[in-house]
Amino acid sequence: MTTVRQWFKTKGWTPQAFQKECWKAYGEGKNGMLHAPTGSGKTFALWGGILQEALKTKKNPVGIQALWITPLRALAVEIQQATQRMTSELHPDLNIVLRTGDTSQSERAKQKRKPSFGLVTTPESLHVLLSAKDHSKSFQHLKVIVVDEWHELLGSKRGVQVELALAYLRTIIPDLKVWGISATLGNKELAREILLGPTANYTVIEAKIQKKIKVHSLLPKTMERFPWRGHLGTHLLPQVLKIVQKNKSTLIFTNTRAQCEIWFHRLLEAAPELAGSIAMHHGSIDKKIRLWVEDSLRNESLKVVVCTSSLDLGVDFSPVENCIQIGSPKGVGRFIQRAGRSGHQPKAGSTIYFLPTHAMELIESVALQNGIKTQQIEDRIPYLNCYDVLIQFLMTLAVGSGFDPKKIFPIVKATFCFQTLDQERWQWILNFLIRGSQSLQHYDEYKKLIPTEHGLFKVANKGIALRHRLSMGTIVSGNDLKIRYRKGGYLGSIEEWFIAKLKPGDTFAFSGKTLELIRIQKMEVIVKKSKAKQAKIPAWMGGRMSFSAHLSDLLKKALFEDQHKTTREFQSLLPVFEQQKKESIVPKPDELLIERFETKEGFHTVFYPFEGHAIHEAMASLMAYRISLLNPISFSMSFNDYGFELLSDQAFSPDDFLDNMLFTQDRLFEDLAKSINISEMARRRFRDIAVISGLVFQGYPNKPIKSKHLQSGSQLFFEVFKEYEPDNLLYQQAVEETFDHGMERGRMQLVFEELEQKTIVWKNCSQPTPFSFPLITDRIRSKLSSETVEDRIKKMYLQLEKAAP
Amino acid sequence: MITIEIHTNQFVLHPSGGIYWKEKQTWLLADVHLGKVAHFRKNGIAVPRKAAGSFYQKMEVLLPLFPVQRILFLGDLFHSFQNNEWYLFEAWVKQQRFKMILITGNHDVIPNWKFEALGLQVESALEEALFHFTHFPDQQTPKFVFCGHVHPGVTLSGVGKQRLKLPCFFQSPNQLILPAFGAFTGLHILKPKTEDHIYVLTGKEVLEIKEKLF
Repeated sequence: MTTVRQWFKTKGWTPQAFQKECWKAYGEGKNGMLHAPTGSGKTFALWGGILQEALKTKKNPVGIQALWITPLRALAVEIQQATQRMTSELHPDLNIVLRTGDTSQSERAKQKRKPSFGLVTTPESLHVLLSAKDHSKSFQHLKVIVVDEWHELLGSKRGVQVELALAYLRTIIPDLKVWGISATLGNKELAREILLGPTANYTVIEAKIQKKIKVHSLLPKTMERFPWRGHLGTHLLPQVLKIVQKNKSTLIFTNTRAQCEIWFHRLLEAAPELAGSIAMHHGSIDKKIRLWVEDSLRNESLKVVVCTSSLDLGVDFSPVENCIQIGSPKGVGRFIQRAGRSGHQPKAGSTIYFLPTHAMELIESVALQNGIKTQQIEDRIPYLNCYDVLIQFLMTLAVGSGFDPKKIFPIVKATFCFQTLDQERWQWILNFLIRGSQSLQHYDEYKKLIPTEHGLFKVANKGIALRHRLSMGTIVSGNDLKIRYRKGGYLGSIEEWFIAKLKPGDTFAFSGKTLELIRIQKMEVIVKKSKAKQAKIPAWMGGRMSFSAHLSDLLKKALFEDQHKTTREFQSLLPVFEQQKKESIVPKPDELLIERFETKEGFHTVFYPFEGHAIHEAMASLMAYRISLLNPISFSMSFNDYGFELLSDQAFSPDDFLDNMLFTQDRLFEDLAKSINISEMARRRFRDIAVISGLVFQGYPNKPIKSKHLQSGSQLFFEVFKEYEPDNLLYQQAVEETFDHGMERGRMQLVFEELEQKTIVWKNCSQPTPFSFPLITDRIRSKLSSETVEDRIKKMYLQLEKAAP
Repeated sequence: MITIEIHTNQFVLHPSGGIYWKEKQTWLLADVHLGKVAHFRKNGIAVPRKAAGSFYQKMEVLLPLFPVQRILFLGDLFHSFQNNEWYLFEAWVKQQRFKMILITGNHDVIPNWKFEALGLQVESALEEALFHFTHFPDQQTPKFVFCGHVHPGVTLSGVGKQRLKLPCFFQSPNQLILPAFGAFTGLHILKPKTEDHIYVLTGKEVLEIKEKLF
């Protein structure tokens, strides 16, 4: 019997089948992918194999041998503790250490002097390690890299970071083993291929743990009072309180940080006795406070935690009895993951309460339940051609040991992300880094990288190296300011644009407290506690999630097929459906409903394809663009997972619209590309790209003045590229990303094919319908106009936004 | 172009962001930020080089419009420390026949003697007739103030939730803030009060934004 198995036995545990499979496969020298849900014992499944191998060798292992990559710092802490516990009992000489953005300078120096057996880190910190001059020496003994929660990284640019680092390390250490751990996802094959590379020496292991998930919709007592929109859902507070009070512990998931703050306040207001046993957890709250919340959850000293996706992953909280999801979880996969946070002991079932924030979300609840039943889990779409991440990676190598372009090119091309990179674009990227664009001009003093005599490309000077080191990492935080009490003590961070709207003396809610702004100094917001009743709730920017394709299919199915079933959800929707039918219709599967009505805001034209937010955003700007070709007109657009709205100051005629077949597939992508350019959807994408590629420099810590002459917003960059250098690959990347990730290019064609089969039903309504309500009240909007600015002003369509007198 | 009258003097507001003072045959230009693109590029940030040339192109359009005796730069003529842009500017200055005055701004870190050697007059502020010229806004002086520094812009909104941000000439009862003349400079959005007059730059025209009558 192996040592690891004996250890399990002394603990009184029986290894699960997938754990035994992992140990065996690892012992055979395989690469692999393990699909297992959180809390199933997946850490021991892999660490057991790694440790077993180390125990076989007589000599003590030297150098870093195992690298464990996790997406979250909180998770890294957890993994480090778990692996260290196991290791200490079996091989007391070996250490596992943490290396994240939170690791202190002295600790980093210590790790360098005396490398430990295992290192738990994040993708960003791994790149920081690669920026060291002697990184190939520090990694020479490396045997294995484990990438945890790969499904989470895969659909993000941090996944590209992992791909590049792996491809690079494989060339330094040819027999490097790679293992991935991932929750179930739709495109398993692809996920494995991207992580493990072209090797044939791999195995895929599936943890067959089927947890029972019970979904329970929370319904208001009387449906008449059900809001058509109101993204808070706080009208259901009494029911939430009842669940909280009945159970030992509850996690409340919200979709945004602002919603998290609001729910926390409302709960405490309604039940002051919760003080002391209620806490909040989201990404902007200070690390120390977050760690405290996580610990308190573990030792059962908290009754309820209001959180965002910051608690989606990893971190085992066995005591949580219940989860409540507020508003749409946007995908079956995420919903299952969140439900899985409760009843964590293997085999215990999970219960999740779904709290709809508006009527339409009740249909979604039915859809989600069907999705769980049939285990329809979403794909994660990997990124392609992320020039911004590549440029950052090349800079990372250039500030350290330097790189030889001839040797690096095949490494980059070996990744999934850059598989189609050709010599021409590669040369463009090198030129961008050396010359700042394509042609060297007289007078130009561009400096970033310089080729050295040995053919290596290195960074031109210390200032550029320093700025790169300070801004490494793919996750983009806007201009965040730290919040601090006057007498010391950090609370977290907040985006600059929100704080800029406040005057000293104003109060705002943060981290569950009411704070008064005293002043802003040196990138810090100085506050004191306030007793004020009224406080502004900060909002955080950040992308809005779209329905997955699966969920929109499920939703259509629920709406079209289950509508007449007597489920609780549809029963309580009856009054809403009745009102909808009074003004308009509930569309049948072969119908596309379009509603038109007028309010004092203008003319609303609302479309209901039920295809998810992303598709609707693209469709909205495509429709707006095609209509604007018929006549000069200006649109403001909103979209959600059910449909989209075109709002205009003049009414375009239904006949014009219908006669011109604006839903045609002809020139679909050409028109889409034009509408992206005009509506500037790409502009938002460019924000991240500008930061990642190092165009936007966020300033030196504590030295805001000195860098001022180098500060400029991504918007300004977007404009100058658009005007002066439209062939810039970074600018084009923004457009491509809008196609692939903003609007799911692959699905678009299919959606239009289906649309052409449908009958268009145009309804003129006397007032807004229940279906339209969430759309027309949405304040986040895109614009598209074919009128000139001069005309719009002369026609008095636009007037000044004035200060309050 | 729009001509406005202040203290019986005629001022032409040009879509480029410059103001022509008829009585004195003088162009007022604020926040040119020469060398900004070069400064970014020198520090490894690849702003398109073409964005740098726009000052000279704009001047080629402006100068033939009216007889010119003087140009008054209202501060932030150069963005940062000296770089190669200086030689382009030097060459351009040598070709001109009129007088140039620089009122220094917070970005003007190039020593005064360098400008003076080129024949520019350098001042921290200037008073002439009933007017006060400075880089920073100044509501204290009794005279009417022309200034820059702010890069003013306004938000326009309208029916159908339309919104648009545009640079503008921002005129309050005793002061007029010029928009930034340079490219790659950005906007600072201001909220006007009832007594303010706003002239936006659309790219092609200057338009006064009037109140809706209904």
